[in-house]
Amino acid sequence: MGAAVEKLTGLAQAADRFAIGHADLREAQIDAMNECLQERRERIKLLDHRAKEASLREIRTLEDVVPVLFPHTAYKSYPESWLIGQKWDRLGKWLGTVSAYPIAPIDTSDIRDIDDWIARLEAVGHFVACSSGTTGKSAMLIASARDIEWSCSDNVAAFSWGSGVEAKQDYRMFGLAPVAHVTKNQAIGNAHTAAFGDPRVEKFHLPVPPITVGQLTKMVVLRKAIAEGTARPADIAAFEATSKERQETLEKSYILGAEALVAAREHKLFISGMWNALYQIAVLVRGMGYSGKDFHPENCIYVGGGLKRAQLPPDYQQVVHETFNIPAHRNFQIYSMQELGSTMPRCQKGRRYHVPPWIVPLILNKNGDALEPKRGSEVEGRAAFFDLSLDGRWGGVITGDKISLDFAPCACGNASPSVRDDIVRYADLEGDDKIGCAGTVDAYVRGLS
Amino acid sequence: MSATAMELGATERRSPHPIRVDHFVRGRLVTGEVIRHRSRDLGVDFTTPEIDLDALVTPRSELPPLLDVKTSEIIDFLVECGERMQLEKNPHLQQALERIVATNPLPRRVVENLFRDAGRFLSRDSLGCSIETNFANPAALDGWVERTDFHGQHGALRAFPPRMIHMLAGNSPTGCIASIAQGALVKAINVFKMPSSDPFTCVAMLRTMADVDPDHPVVRSMSAVYWRGGDERIERTLYRPQYFDKIVAWGGGDAIDNVIQYLGPGIQLVSFDPKTSISMIGPEGFASDAVIAEIAEAAATDVTVFNQEACLASRFLFVEGDREGIEKFCARLQERLGVDRETASEVAHPLPAETREQIEMLQLMDDEARIWGQCDGRGLVILTPSPVDFHPSHKTANVVHVDSLDDAVRYVNVATQTIGIYPAARKAEMRDRLASAGAQRVVRLGSAAKHVMGGPHDAMFPLQRFVHWMSDEDA
Repeated sequence: MGAAVEKLTGLAQAADRFAIGHADLREAQIDAMNECLQERRERIKLLDHRAKEASLREIRTLEDVVPVLFPHTAYKSYPESWLIGQKWDRLGKWLGTVSAYPIAPIDTSDIRDIDDWIARLEAVGHFVACSSGTTGKSAMLIASARDIEWSCSDNVAAFSWGSGVEAKQDYRMFGLAPVAHVTKNQAIGNAHTAAFGDPRVEKFHLPVPPITVGQLTKMVVLRKAIAEGTARPADIAAFEATSKERQETLEKSYILGAEALVAAREHKLFISGMWNALYQIAVLVRGMGYSGKDFHPENCIYVGGGLKRAQLPPDYQQVVHETFNIPAHRNFQIYSMQELGSTMPRCQKGRRYHVPPWIVPLILNKNGDALEPKRGSEVEGRAAFFDLSLDGRWGGVITGDKISLDFAPCACGNASPSVRDDIVRYADLEGDDKIGCAGTVDAYVRGLS
Repeated sequence: MSATAMELGATERRSPHPIRVDHFVRGRLVTGEVIRHRSRDLGVDFTTPEIDLDALVTPRSELPPLLDVKTSEIIDFLVECGERMQLEKNPHLQQALERIVATNPLPRRVVENLFRDAGRFLSRDSLGCSIETNFANPAALDGWVERTDFHGQHGALRAFPPRMIHMLAGNSPTGCIASIAQGALVKAINVFKMPSSDPFTCVAMLRTMADVDPDHPVVRSMSAVYWRGGDERIERTLYRPQYFDKIVAWGGGDAIDNVIQYLGPGIQLVSFDPKTSISMIGPEGFASDAVIAEIAEAAATDVTVFNQEACLASRFLFVEGDREGIEKFCARLQERLGVDRETASEVAHPLPAETREQIEMLQLMDDEARIWGQCDGRGLVILTPSPVDFHPSHKTANVVHVDSLDDAVRYVNVATQTIGIYPAARKAEMRDRLASAGAQRVVRLGSAAKHVMGGPHDAMFPLQRFVHWMSDEDA
């Protein structure tokens, strides 16, 4: 690790890490990105390719880094046919083009499914997180053991900073989301439990089996088979029956979750989950005759992810907060994504997401190929980040999000750059008004989303 | 002449002033810059007049204006209008051209060529041919035709004019002319919903027709407007069986999903589905350098139609034969993709970023796939053992080396439209299996854009589906 990277990531536990202004960090951040480039370009094949194409030898300005930022789609550039055809050796080789550490050949002869493959890679120190692409392809993000450790401590620290909750092991932990079986996410959950959970009481988990990457992949495989015309009606019926069963199990588990919350209502609760599940459970708790006044005033909440296409009434957040008596200053939110190893917690006063010193924020044009010119302190455009903490893969990523980044100090008093609380995805902004005679077989596949 | 940045509309795109879009409602031009929109493909702003929904709907108490006009008279009128479709002399088309190049990804010269060629949709032969192949007895379009069944019972039949909404496709500016001709031939009352990538040509064509005769019943049967696809305020109100019998739509995805929610008893969808076209080349194609050169040119002709924006443009080329010959073919094909053509330019727009990622990855893996050319829109050939899972576009050919063309049949599916085959003799041998898999059309390699007049589209004869078959029976 280079000196500049070390200096910036060394601020992880500093109490005033969000108090440092952009101008004071710029030089160190550029040096740090250059250190990463020099250290990794021999190791990450895609990075070397990009750097060569851009004739880039070193990073001296923010502009220099733009051609070597990877679009988020770079992590799903493998042919889906390899996943469907279970070509583990080829997928391993693909992963090797984006990994910062060489992937030693593993025995793939007896691998049954992608869950097996992921477990086999983990055993040799490569942690692969798959995004839950339901209709499209999953992104596969490779990380090292150090990345997992970093994400755990970063998440806990971000939560404390954003919510004001100290890590005193005095909360009862409630995990109210059907969890995807992804090592990174589970490790983060465990880190929260270790930091905030009362060790005498076991964490409550929604009683549903975790969704594995293999199960998500089954959907992708079936979609492809339907498109090709090889799926038989019995295959589709079996899949739909499983989905229905799962949905029923989930709905039953919400009732059990609501009952467990009511039973624990006089204790301090640390509630984590996703909006849809939290909202459904809040409605059930109300139906049982309980509301905010019955719950502990120091409760806190950690919500991950967006709505994921769930249709909820506009006041869903308020319903959840009021039901569980979550005070306004405990309304913790973060901005992050699977592509990053670190998070940007939201402050209570300015309601803005703060960028820590080890994340370099860049605002690009819509196409993601140039920096958006800076007029005034706030810039709007496509979000890109260089996460200097990342060890197992390249830190530079271009997101699908449109954000406003302010380089001026926030109303909360912190001087770090911050992101306005109105992030949207470009994909959602545009919709699809396009109509033409040319198209793919995807338009002929119904359901499965 | 090659495409320049100017040709691709780069300068117009940056213009801060929104482009004016006019509407045409039941024979009259409607202007006004009331509603601002942004085009889907190139993100250009334009303004339209407010839509008067009442004006778009002809009450069912009124008989269709074309009911008593003879088909032959309609054809005469369309042919006369077709003769006015000369870009050099027609100010409406000239103005439309200037505006299209700002909203449409096709280069100016290709749009010009399309306009020059548009008269063919309105030739006497082609119009007559459509009617002959669509209707067992074309007289049913002009009046009640008698018929008698096996039991001697009498009846009469009329192909009665329908009320139709045409959701026009955006990828070919002159496609609307074929739709106008279809609407006129079945004597329909027509509303054309224009696409954001070309909200101009349809109105330009209708104005040309109004110049010939502003009160002609064909002109009075036509309206062309733009609203943003999916705009509930318009679509929920308009898409009702009391107002329209048929919605004719091109495309898939959101565009069709939006329409489907309004279908029900009395209102039907006639859809021209989104399609992918392919080629199949047997070992004979790689027999000698001379043959390779010939088939590379034929394949390039099929791949590049409208810079590969068209449904009949080939994207996957399945090849059987000797590896060395196939690689020579790939190299030659890449050269021929970069040639300026009637309906394709030397340089198309560069490939979308997500596709570039996947191609870059194929390069980095340095096995299995071989690549000729770059993602710069000048033509790219990717040789692989099985089809790539992205949609080849912007003059990209995925050449798939299969053991036998019989193996390629499994890649044909319900989205496959045209299959260009070499040698042509293999067509007859394969066509039943290809049809069973879902394909709609087999042609000689290099002839994807050529048509035998009056043929089916999307595996149907559309005119016969448009009309309202009214029956008078004396059983």
